[in-house]
Amino acid sequence: MKKESLFLWHSPAVSWDNKQPRMNRLHSVHRLLFSFALSSAALTQLVAAADDAEALFVRRIQPLFSEKCIACHGQEEVKIKGGFDMRSRESILAGGDSGEPGLVAGKPLESPLYLASTREHEDWEAMPPKETDKLYAEALGWIEIWIAGGAPWPDATRAVEITKANEAAWAAEDGIIVKTTGGLSPDWTNRRYPTEGLWGYAPLATSDFGSGISDWEKGKGEHPVDALIAKHFPVGVTPAPAADARTFIRRATFDLTGLPPTPEEIAAFEAESIPNPQSAIRNLLDRLLESPHYGERMAQHWLDVVRYADSSGFANDYERGNAWRYRDYVVRSFNTDKPYDQFIVEQIAGDELDPADPEKVIATGFLRMGPWELTGMEVAKIARQRFLDEVTNSVGEVFIAHSLQCARCHDHKFDPVPTVDYYSIQAVFATTQLVERPAPFLPNENTEGFGERAYLEKRRAEYLATLAELDRILLENAQAWFRENGKDPSGWNAAVEAIAAQGEKGGNRGFSEVFGAARNRLMKEGVAESDFPPKLVGFTPEQFGLERVARKGLERLRWEVDRYEPYALAVYNGATPQMKSVNSPLRLPKNPFAAGELEQTCILTGGDPFASGEKVKPGILSVLSSTAGLDGAVPEAPEGRRTAFAKWVAHPDNPLTTRAIVNRVWMWHFGEPLAGNPNNFGSTGKKPTHPELLDWLAATFVESGWSFKELHRTIMTSEAYRRSSGLEVSGSKLSREELEKTYAAFKPRRLSAEELRDAMLAATGELNPALGGIPNRPEINLEAAMQPRQVMGTFASAWVPNPLREERHRRSLYALKLRGQADPMMEVFNAPTPDFSCERRDASTVTPQVFALFNSRASLGRSLALATRVLRETETDEAAIDRIFALLLGRTATAAEIATCLAHWREMTPVQEKAVYPEVTPPLTVRREAVEENTGEKFSFDERLHAYADFVPDLQPGACDARTRALADVCLALLNSNEFAYVY
Amino acid sequence: MFTKRYFPCAGARALHVPTRREFVYGLGASLGSVALTSLLAAEEKANPLAPKEGHFPGAKAKNVIFLMMEGGPSHIDTFDPKPMLEKMHLKEFVREGKQKSAMESGKRYYVRSPFPFIKAGQSGADMATNWSHLAKVADELCFFRGCTVDSVNHPTAMYQMNTGNRFGGDPGLGSWVNYGLGSVNQDLPGFIVLPEVSYPQGGAANWSNGYLPAQFQGTPLRPKGSPILDLAPPPGVTPEHQRKNLDLIAKLNSEHAATRPDHEELVARMDSYELAFRMQMQVPETLDLSKEDEKTKEQYGIGKDTTDAFGRKCLLARKLVEKGVRFVQLYHGSWDSHDYIERAHGNLVAGVDQPIAALIADLKERGLLESTLVVWCGEFGRTPDNGVRGGTAYGRDHNPNAMTIWLAGGGCKAGHTIGATDELGMEAVEGKAHVRDFHVTLLRLLGLDDNKLSFYHAGRFKQLSQFGGTVIQDLIA
Repeated sequence: MKKESLFLWHSPAVSWDNKQPRMNRLHSVHRLLFSFALSSAALTQLVAAADDAEALFVRRIQPLFSEKCIACHGQEEVKIKGGFDMRSRESILAGGDSGEPGLVAGKPLESPLYLASTREHEDWEAMPPKETDKLYAEALGWIEIWIAGGAPWPDATRAVEITKANEAAWAAEDGIIVKTTGGLSPDWTNRRYPTEGLWGYAPLATSDFGSGISDWEKGKGEHPVDALIAKHFPVGVTPAPAADARTFIRRATFDLTGLPPTPEEIAAFEAESIPNPQSAIRNLLDRLLESPHYGERMAQHWLDVVRYADSSGFANDYERGNAWRYRDYVVRSFNTDKPYDQFIVEQIAGDELDPADPEKVIATGFLRMGPWELTGMEVAKIARQRFLDEVTNSVGEVFIAHSLQCARCHDHKFDPVPTVDYYSIQAVFATTQLVERPAPFLPNENTEGFGERAYLEKRRAEYLATLAELDRILLENAQAWFRENGKDPSGWNAAVEAIAAQGEKGGNRGFSEVFGAARNRLMKEGVAESDFPPKLVGFTPEQFGLERVARKGLERLRWEVDRYEPYALAVYNGATPQMKSVNSPLRLPKNPFAAGELEQTCILTGGDPFASGEKVKPGILSVLSSTAGLDGAVPEAPEGRRTAFAKWVAHPDNPLTTRAIVNRVWMWHFGEPLAGNPNNFGSTGKKPTHPELLDWLAATFVESGWSFKELHRTIMTSEAYRRSSGLEVSGSKLSREELEKTYAAFKPRRLSAEELRDAMLAATGELNPALGGIPNRPEINLEAAMQPRQVMGTFASAWVPNPLREERHRRSLYALKLRGQADPMMEVFNAPTPDFSCERRDASTVTPQVFALFNSRASLGRSLALATRVLRETETDEAAIDRIFALLLGRTATAAEIATCLAHWREMTPVQEKAVYPEVTPPLTVRREAVEENTGEKFSFDERLHAYADFVPDLQPGACDARTRALADVCLALLNSNEFAYVY
Repeated sequence: MFTKRYFPCAGARALHVPTRREFVYGLGASLGSVALTSLLAAEEKANPLAPKEGHFPGAKAKNVIFLMMEGGPSHIDTFDPKPMLEKMHLKEFVREGKQKSAMESGKRYYVRSPFPFIKAGQSGADMATNWSHLAKVADELCFFRGCTVDSVNHPTAMYQMNTGNRFGGDPGLGSWVNYGLGSVNQDLPGFIVLPEVSYPQGGAANWSNGYLPAQFQGTPLRPKGSPILDLAPPPGVTPEHQRKNLDLIAKLNSEHAATRPDHEELVARMDSYELAFRMQMQVPETLDLSKEDEKTKEQYGIGKDTTDAFGRKCLLARKLVEKGVRFVQLYHGSWDSHDYIERAHGNLVAGVDQPIAALIADLKERGLLESTLVVWCGEFGRTPDNGVRGGTAYGRDHNPNAMTIWLAGGGCKAGHTIGATDELGMEAVEGKAHVRDFHVTLLRLLGLDDNKLSFYHAGRFKQLSQFGGTVIQDLIA
């Protein structure tokens, strides 16, 4: 019944086709020519103009067919669409299901192949079907000329001759052949790449600017960053002047620490800037780079790229109890200015470098960052392949700015990435296995707060009690079952007594399970199943539900309590163990190669894990060998593959790696990367706007010993970074965006979700600046926190905030990040989902942000805390208002602003006197209602929220007088103001 | 929940300079002040949410009501009877081969359906007898038995049915449809989701805008508590009180904006505060069903214990479509009946049968059925066999190779059953089509061409079907 619509040569006329103004100029010229019935003389002329139709075929038509047509019209016999096979002249002439020949030699306008490609013919459906695949005018012209020239189809030998004869001439126009391991077809291997798309693979260009900024610092010459930016500066535009000291310190402090400067820091910097702005900046940068908050801020960026989360995602969304140790490893690495090459190798192969060093083992958490699970429903091999594909692609995107997954099913359509390379890189990880690996806590890890485990233990005790009670009920029900079925219970009773006598060792899951043990015992004794009661006999829907909730709850707890144990989310080398499902943390096997399959990587045809093709050896991305002279041998032994691969990635001559990281850091400062797609340096990614600058930064970065801190200094001391975002560049006709792109003016940015929250806590004085440690649970919207969340077979537990204020008010970096439960406030302000590597954050403006920032209890709490703080710190009303401005905006209030805010304060005081704020009592339980999966009946239960028993709420309106609350109204307005939300 | 996975890192989206209008996500013109409206009018052309023609202007369907039976309803026990299972009942079942998963461990048995079937309507559609209300509108339905999906786990299968991508993170169907057709109503989001109290597996990523701009995100209206989080300020803050604070923000912001006239995001952000304030009033009004006709409510089963919840959703869906909301998705479930299918599916069907039948009849009576495509499906079907699980009564496991989807209205081929599964309901054998083809067909019914409805992201033009699909012509009248 499925009709092939794609290449049915006759398709009904579609009226929209004429409405689309897709006709291009070149094409219309051709149309005009041919519509007056081309004379043979004219044809000959045209053909002559195109050299020779045969050569045109070799040079243009065949590659065009391969790229645009063959996938549906000849790649696989069975899948040929519309019965139209384009692999030979004969088969084209034979035509498809329509019965008409695909072309009429010499007559393009009677050739369906041409007419369909014009996308404008009434009878022939537009080809290729995808609008985004449509042929360019030039390509359409080639087809036209080729058919007009008789549609010749030289054989392979002749094609080689033609190619050889024209090699030099064509290369100059069509780009170059790039050597790789080779594609699945010779066509791919020998295809040509326009040189402009190959910039990422080329070695770093050398420049005249030397290394670093030391000359400039000594007063010699221009700052290299500015000199390189000047190369692309629009003519006639005077760049914006330097930002004032106050604006600059706010910008630099947010950029390097994610926090606002204090009013005192601002004042000191302003004072220091007057005599010597350059040394003031130098000192400021030194101070900020030494701040422990620097590492936190950079870690936030890095965790976006590696898609950090504290849970596994998908159906179970189990917690990854130890992921936090990787997060803190990243913070430490930045704070100690760990050389980036070392940082790379540790994350890819830390366990191979030194399995006894916990720090190195923790680093491999990087390889575990993707969402992954294996449920009993899934085929294990498919899940394993998901991990391998995930990790291969991730290594590509994160370190070498290449989304490798395009080459999983076919050679890369646009980039010199053959499928063989994809599987060679995958083979690097073929012996990499998932594990929660022993790793003793390090002295520099924060291991405070483990006492919270007591709340989980309370929950465990509840589940165990429930199961014990249900076991008792089952034993009763069993007796009823024997009565009802008129069977003899004596054998059963004996079994139950024997098990009870053993001291309730029935279950192996940590809870008494006499009923199940009795069944097992009788089964082993060979008693017929019909002679003893079935599983879960006589349960009510509620009991079914409670049993499942408790059983699954215990399972989930195993992952959560791992948080307080010295394990690392990590990997090991070994054979792939046989697993049916993964329901508890995986431990290191005694002998990793004893059991399971030692994987031999093969090309998987079409990416299908069951379609194994040719075997491949572990390797690297081969293109860099010919373009940058960078080779890399990866051993075939199961150990050491990752180290070798990581060293190739981290090689100083790897131009993808070095460009990728400086491009990211540049974006972290300017909001715009130099190359527009930080995860994609291939030909479809955007080209660098300032290629010389990108290369100079990359080279300088390597020469400085891969030092991030030096890179920040280099960038942040430039005039470009110091420029004002105000558009004092009038006279230019360029738009604001254009000026920002050329760095003539600084691009303002909205604070990220985390900065917004952290900046509010910093301003109110509530922020707990402690570094690292187990994730905390700040308060989130209460309805969201209590909303039931389905996971496989049960509900995930509610979001219960930490009981104490200082535990809740930690930096947002430390908030427990569950894939299945984002903090709505973070989410509306564009915190990325951890399922994909985030190359760049968005900053949208949507209405729900207003609800989160203006209506939420969190904002009310911050406003009250800020009002209370300033009333405590100041003597007069005017000073109170001024202090709010200083804390939130980093400046003094103008007289007009003070008047406005005082008026508001006074106006709101009587309103607040009348206002009644109902007290919010912490919920000690939450009622869960569900449809029980086994029975379709509704059932409900109470989830107890133990940590709420000790809950100390944030400052509540009821605890403040009307005057404070009215001042909090002023604070709320300023927290919502644009000036607070933007960094200029 | 609330994994709204906006996919905020959209490299390609940086190309796009936001106009003042876009942030509004559908809540715009008539909510705004007069001055604002006139300001915005000039930018109307640039509004990505403005209604627009599809690629096939003759298409009948303008709106979609998508009834998502989360958990995977059993085709064998609803609309695809398998008499053969009567004979095979409780005979042992063996599945072999590479696709064998742990799901198949232990002994398995064929299980017959506990439900008798009838031939309903003039078209003689197969229906289990407990769909007694839906049987009355059987001739409006077009059953499709050929659909297959790739995943056996709930969240990944849900993502695939809702977004085309098993691993989530891509735009939902409703986002694509709004991207393609815009929204008739600028006062309400064009893509509204009516979830259960408990969100489906996979959470809010099921209605994510993915890499499309944030304006195309599905807006869930929560059935309990505040329909939108923090829609209202904390109790104790009156609207007048809030208005005063808003005025202070506006004053401070406009003074600030005056110093940066070129920074249009500042104005957009100011506007968003005004619109949010009005939305606080508008949304509860829209949700209020108290003014609806009593008889209508009765028809939908509102007020009756079993049907009240879903009846409300169905009636609200009709109201929203009348107001020009492009895509409404209703969730019901979980239909994941591994055991006791007679009781479990029996209760589930009882909960939706009358409301859905009433919705179709009501749409028809109001002349809306022709322009409204109603879709009923789950994320996969169920197996003809069952392992010995916890329960002692029979149920079914997940089956990605066979399922029943039905359509109504919107130019679908009403009164027909398309495709077939094998005699046991194990897999689709006739008219077999991957879910991507089903997606392409839905778009076609709406006048959209999947191959043209694409968005450049991360170096590639992306589309709902992922890599392109084929229209299932037999589903189209």
